[in-house]
Amino acid sequence: MDSASLTSLAANFGAGIAIGLGAIGAAIGEGHTAAQASPAISRNPQMAGEVFKTMLVGQAIAESASIFALVVALVLLFTNLPVSSYLTACAFLGASLSMGFGAIGSGVGSGFPAGATCHGLVRQPAMANKLTTNMLIGSAVCQTPSIFSLVIAFILMFGDYSAAAPAPLWAALIGAGVSTGLSAIGAGLGGGLVAQSCCEGIARQPRAAGALTNSMLLGQAITQTTAIYGLLIGFILLFKHHPETNSIAAAMALLSAGICMGIGGIGPGIGEGFTAQGAVKWIARNSEGIGEITRSMLVGMAVAESTGIYSMVIALVLIFVV
Amino acid sequence: MGNLGEVHQLILSLAGWKMVFNLDSIVMSWIVIAVLLTFGTLAVRKRDVIPHRLQVVGELIVGSLYQLTEDAMDKEKAEKYGPLVVALFLFLTLSNWLGIIPHLDEPTKDLNTPLALGIMGFVIAHFVGIRSKGWKAYLGEYFQPFIIMMPLNIIGELAKIVSISFRLFGNIMGGAIIILVVSHLTFSVVLPPFLNAFFGLFVGTIQAFVFTMLTIVYISVQTN
Amino acid sequence: MAIEGVDLIKAAAFLGAGLSMGLGAIGPGVGEGMAAAKACEAIGKNPKEAGLLTRTMLVGQAVSESTGIYSLVIALLLLFVV
Repeated sequence: MDSASLTSLAANFGAGIAIGLGAIGAAIGEGHTAAQASPAISRNPQMAGEVFKTMLVGQAIAESASIFALVVALVLLFTNLPVSSYLTACAFLGASLSMGFGAIGSGVGSGFPAGATCHGLVRQPAMANKLTTNMLIGSAVCQTPSIFSLVIAFILMFGDYSAAAPAPLWAALIGAGVSTGLSAIGAGLGGGLVAQSCCEGIARQPRAAGALTNSMLLGQAITQTTAIYGLLIGFILLFKHHPETNSIAAAMALLSAGICMGIGGIGPGIGEGFTAQGAVKWIARNSEGIGEITRSMLVGMAVAESTGIYSMVIALVLIFVV
Repeated sequence: MGNLGEVHQLILSLAGWKMVFNLDSIVMSWIVIAVLLTFGTLAVRKRDVIPHRLQVVGELIVGSLYQLTEDAMDKEKAEKYGPLVVALFLFLTLSNWLGIIPHLDEPTKDLNTPLALGIMGFVIAHFVGIRSKGWKAYLGEYFQPFIIMMPLNIIGELAKIVSISFRLFGNIMGGAIIILVVSHLTFSVVLPPFLNAFFGLFVGTIQAFVFTMLTIVYISVQTN
Repeated sequence: MAIEGVDLIKAAAFLGAGLSMGLGAIGPGVGEGMAAAKACEAIGKNPKEAGLLTRTMLVGQAVSESTGIYSLVIALLLLFVV
């Protein structure tokens, strides 16, 4: 089977996977937002217009991750990208896995703050502007892991593989996609949880708005570290020079490094999200204790990160030592 | 679209060592520095109790960032590290905004810039930690809570550099890619400027803020 | 079974179409279900506002459907155009 056909095959299949997986998260997140809008309106029908508008804006941001997936699917189907060898086919598969998985977490995550803002609006109508701004900031930062997936997907799709030896680079390409894509799930979900409790907190305690936004950004930033590790392993797999060998063991080592970092990044992302969510929730209820709470949040997140670091270490060992 | 990876480089060979200068990033960084220095000079000229416009902007920025630093560390340390924080934030914000102007690129689109700033923050934090705690207490921290945790603690510290640098790089690079792709796929005049504004201004400011805040947090964690 | 280039590409396109629509149907299903559930609850608490709440629910569900539509479009493209 020649490279051109194999590449078309991978492009078609990959487009299906990319949009199929990518559609899941955004829809769930948007559904959650719509679900939170109903009780809010029922509680205070006069604010229906405001709540409705906010719901739509929040849903639009949650949609952006799946739009990235749609863009990747369309580029795979319709752009005539140069075909070098069967490496291009593997690159397309890696790109579609990266963007497909990467859009799940951010989609679901961005739905959470939008829902909390709908509730917050009916609770504190006077804070409408601040709440909406905070929701926009939180949702936008929550999209970061899917942006990382998009970067890897594009590097994979537009890379030039004519000069490279096929084995074991094929496994590295797929592994890079899997690593970035899967690890973005946990980080996206976690970031969304933090943003949710921040929006709730501002509605509860408008005076603490500044401190809460700072804590939210800090919490989200640290929650996204496992997605960054996934991105790092992806970059290493893509740009390191792999010595040419036909052994299947070397190829599987690279693929497994990607899988290891990818799946390993899910848990810490969600766990750190819970931590930051709890911290922000209680900073809203007890603004004086912000120093203590933040310190204990940082320590807790650092420990929760440890299995993510173990995964990264094993992935690095698989790439460099074995 | 294939020219996304092209970077103008100046490669010099000096006594067996090869030095590579990424001209784009260097020139863009100089532009940012020139703008900031001009703003700074103009803002402090003719200082008055009733401030003129530039002075108001300057006081606003410096005031709010000093407040942020004070919240994380105590007052005297905040006085010492305040200038670093403001400089970092202004440099990053302006760098991320530079991409909106046509034919100009963000210096943070090159991995070297965020990585350099991340390493700088890391070195400052650890230097401050050693100076305030002394060598023994500083090294002792790596062996907490169990001795075998030492390699993991070291990796954790190094991972901090990686995480803040790559976060900034990934966001800015991702924004640039998205704008490029959408402009390529649609024949619209309306959509790309909105995207440009969103990614360049909005995401750029937030990421600059997150980077600065994390640097503050790392410094304050080392001095406790 | 003659496995040829063109045949295999079509096979992959069909597989992709199936996966695209199959996976793509998960999300809108869950999301719209959550929206409807909460709307029922809300109407139960406040039956007077049933009209407003139903309208809001439908619009929210329509937006949530959009990613499902993207999957449908890609699936149709894979089936008939590629």
